[in-house]
Amino acid sequence: MSMSHLYTSKVDQKIRIAITEKLRYRFLELAKAVLSGEEPKMIIPKRTLSNTVYDKERKLLLLGSETFERRFLDVREVRKFMQTLLMAKIIYEALKNNEYPTIRDLYYRGKHTIRYRSFKKSIEEENTWDEQKESDAVLRDIEVYVGLLREDMLILSKEKGKVVGDLRIRSGDDVIDLSKMGHGAYAIEPTPDLIEFLDVNAELVLVVEKDAVFQQLHRAGFWKKYRAILVTSAGQPDRATRRFVRRLNEELKLPVYILTDADPYGWYIYSVFKIGSITLSYESERLATPNAKFLGVSMTDIFGDKNKKPYLSEEERRNFIIKAKKADIKRAQELLNYEWFKTEKWMKEINIFLEKQSKLEIEALTGKGLYFLMDTYIPTKIQTGDFID
Amino acid sequence: MAVTILEKFKSISPAEFFYRNKEIAGFSNPARALYQSVRELVENAFDATDGHGILPNIEISIDRHPEKLNVYRITVKDNGIGIPGEYIPEAFGKVLFSSKYVLRQSRGLFGLGAKMVVLYGQITVGEPAEIISATIGSKKVYMYRIAIDIKENKPIILHKAFWINTTNWHGTIVRVSIEGDWGRAKQKILDYVRRTAIVTPYANIVFKTPDGDVYVYPSVTNKVPPPPKETKPHPHGVDIEMLKAMISETKAETLLDFLASEFQGVGEVTAQRFLQTYGFDPSKKVKELTAEEIEKFVKCLKEYNEFKKPRADHLSPIGAELIKIGLKQILKPEFVEAVTCKPVVYEGHALIVEVGIGYGGSIPPSDQPIILRYANKIPLLYDEKSDVSWKVVSENIDWKYYEIEFPAPIAILVHVCGTKIPYKGVGKESIADVPVIEKEIEEGIRYVARALKQYLLKKQREEEALRKAYTIIKYIPEIASALSIFASANPEKIDQKIFEAKLFEMVKSKYGEVLKNISSVRDVVIQSE
Repeated sequence: MSMSHLYTSKVDQKIRIAITEKLRYRFLELAKAVLSGEEPKMIIPKRTLSNTVYDKERKLLLLGSETFERRFLDVREVRKFMQTLLMAKIIYEALKNNEYPTIRDLYYRGKHTIRYRSFKKSIEEENTWDEQKESDAVLRDIEVYVGLLREDMLILSKEKGKVVGDLRIRSGDDVIDLSKMGHGAYAIEPTPDLIEFLDVNAELVLVVEKDAVFQQLHRAGFWKKYRAILVTSAGQPDRATRRFVRRLNEELKLPVYILTDADPYGWYIYSVFKIGSITLSYESERLATPNAKFLGVSMTDIFGDKNKKPYLSEEERRNFIIKAKKADIKRAQELLNYEWFKTEKWMKEINIFLEKQSKLEIEALTGKGLYFLMDTYIPTKIQTGDFID
Repeated sequence: MAVTILEKFKSISPAEFFYRNKEIAGFSNPARALYQSVRELVENAFDATDGHGILPNIEISIDRHPEKLNVYRITVKDNGIGIPGEYIPEAFGKVLFSSKYVLRQSRGLFGLGAKMVVLYGQITVGEPAEIISATIGSKKVYMYRIAIDIKENKPIILHKAFWINTTNWHGTIVRVSIEGDWGRAKQKILDYVRRTAIVTPYANIVFKTPDGDVYVYPSVTNKVPPPPKETKPHPHGVDIEMLKAMISETKAETLLDFLASEFQGVGEVTAQRFLQTYGFDPSKKVKELTAEEIEKFVKCLKEYNEFKKPRADHLSPIGAELIKIGLKQILKPEFVEAVTCKPVVYEGHALIVEVGIGYGGSIPPSDQPIILRYANKIPLLYDEKSDVSWKVVSENIDWKYYEIEFPAPIAILVHVCGTKIPYKGVGKESIADVPVIEKEIEEGIRYVARALKQYLLKKQREEEALRKAYTIIKYIPEIASALSIFASANPEKIDQKIFEAKLFEMVKSKYGEVLKNISSVRDVVIQSE
């Protein structure tokens, strides 16, 4: 190990040693098999829709019990077998060298050309992998095979999520006060499990899909006034943001409300926060926040119903509503098939959408007035329990 | 056919007849004449060697005449049985119509051979032919320079010499100058020599062209097919002319004796029964038969079904083994197969069809199989599309059934041998589609094509296994490298090479046989360092 570790954080150093051993131990099994003349094989849980199970009790999308064998002597699997070992090797070496590779780094490090003579004697060339899609796929296989998430293996990704609020944390060797971020915000680090919560003064967590709305609420002092931790995922939430929100809920016992656009994409963002995503169902156990609530914007907020007055006037509706596109309709119909959307409230929500064929962005509410959103819409919804669980 | 035309020309000398009808003998233009001359001399050379069980050593050379334009000197040297000195002038200087009725499978098409070449050379150039020869065991070597007296049909000896045969040499050297066209004959002659080499893999052939190129076809086996034997005619294969010739030569007196002694497979009992059936008098003097009686006799001979079938033991097929050796040596294919079919009867003559097949290797892919046709071991180069073999190959056989998709690198050899071959046209360059021959050729081709199909299917299976094995092997270094890193402190370092060897062993034990030519991963993966 180089001197570089002198400057890395203690928490990184600690986890690095544990993870390196765990990774090595798992792949050492394959080396031992080969040395004793047995065909090396990995038994890996399947990451397919058919092996994604919705656990109704825990309200989580989980990986099922189906597995597949990736064997060395299987002609259809041997390339992936090689890629998996190559990826494991690169990660292992990065861990040992005190590095923090990104998935792009891993892609470049592993990509090289194999030159060989074909059985017809011609010289052929083949890359270990061509596109990042391939290296990403085997990385996911390693996560489920070893039982370690990429964050655990100190693989970094772009920071996307942001947070502000009356909360102090330790990140690395530093204490950070999230109430003293000025006009900016704390970018949620890619390894949120290495964050330590020190003390908190808040009653709720509000997650906003749109970064612009987050900034408006931050500058208007929403989190101070309503004792909230304000988070944005800036679109589809990355893993770090999801894990961070989950910890706020689980460890600090704060209720989580999610505010997205009123369209199928907004709903899906909510469901990723709440129960997990299909492609990453193996991480739901740690990333999902089953208690998260969909605050809005809901169809009844726009159109009202028999017990509820809409938040928008007839004229505002005319100005703000966007006609749903074909893709939106199709997506909504798909959502109807997902087990976790088959609740009374969601069926009603989706059916209104299909009937009206209309959608609405959160910005429509700030368009009506920032303080309408901050002081009327959000508090009323929370106080009256007007959300979908 | 030639015989009936000849009837009308009884009054002129045979030499003159052939001079007037030279295109019949294949001398229609300078290119064709050059080709035909080489053929006649080479075929004589073979008849003098393998026709007598001698491993042939044949040297052919064509030189441009030092002074005369479009004149070529052809020299063919063999190590055959040689010609006794006193017979040399007649053998090369007198054109004869064979009256012999014994049948023998031989190469010569007209029984004229070298004489026609000498005659043609004399007409077009006018230089004497030179013949040097010694028989086996002869104490002397004889040399003659001769010309032909066309009107009188006899040799003119211009020079004569002999010397002591100190080296015990035997064989014949013939040198003739003729007018020719090498430029246009070149390809045919090269083809001819090459195709001859295919069916005579036991021969050493050296061919020197006027361009100075030397083609050497070394012998690759010392197995010579047994020489063809003479045989008596079968009753079904006799025509009026032939019967007349037989009667004039026979020593038998009565019809019964004649029938029982001069025909193949006919003994006293059969002869008696035949004569009785058709009401001939067994004691009638055979030489006293009238023209009408001869005509009736021939008709009855053809009609009678109780004769034994014609025998084929006098024929000399090349044999499947030699065909395979020849195809392999000259075409360098990856697969070869051949078959000699059972003898069949065509118009009272036994006939044997042989078929060979070559696939892949150096054979160039083409849209049709390359057909190598032979009749009595002579390559047939002209009129391919009117030959029965062409019909069978291109019409009767569905090659897809045999796993062949054209263009494909495939050559088919068809050899028809027999004492009577149904040629098409006067050039004798193609065989007519007689049903019995067509059927034999088709069966022969199907036989070798089936063998090819088996081979191709096996090859496909092996290639598939090989492809799979290579797919795995090419990743071994990468896998071994990762494994050695994970095993690096366990407790001591384990080299990547050990993992490579272990993984390679696994692939080898799974795919076994097909990997016999690979000894390590490094035979497949090329190291980048």
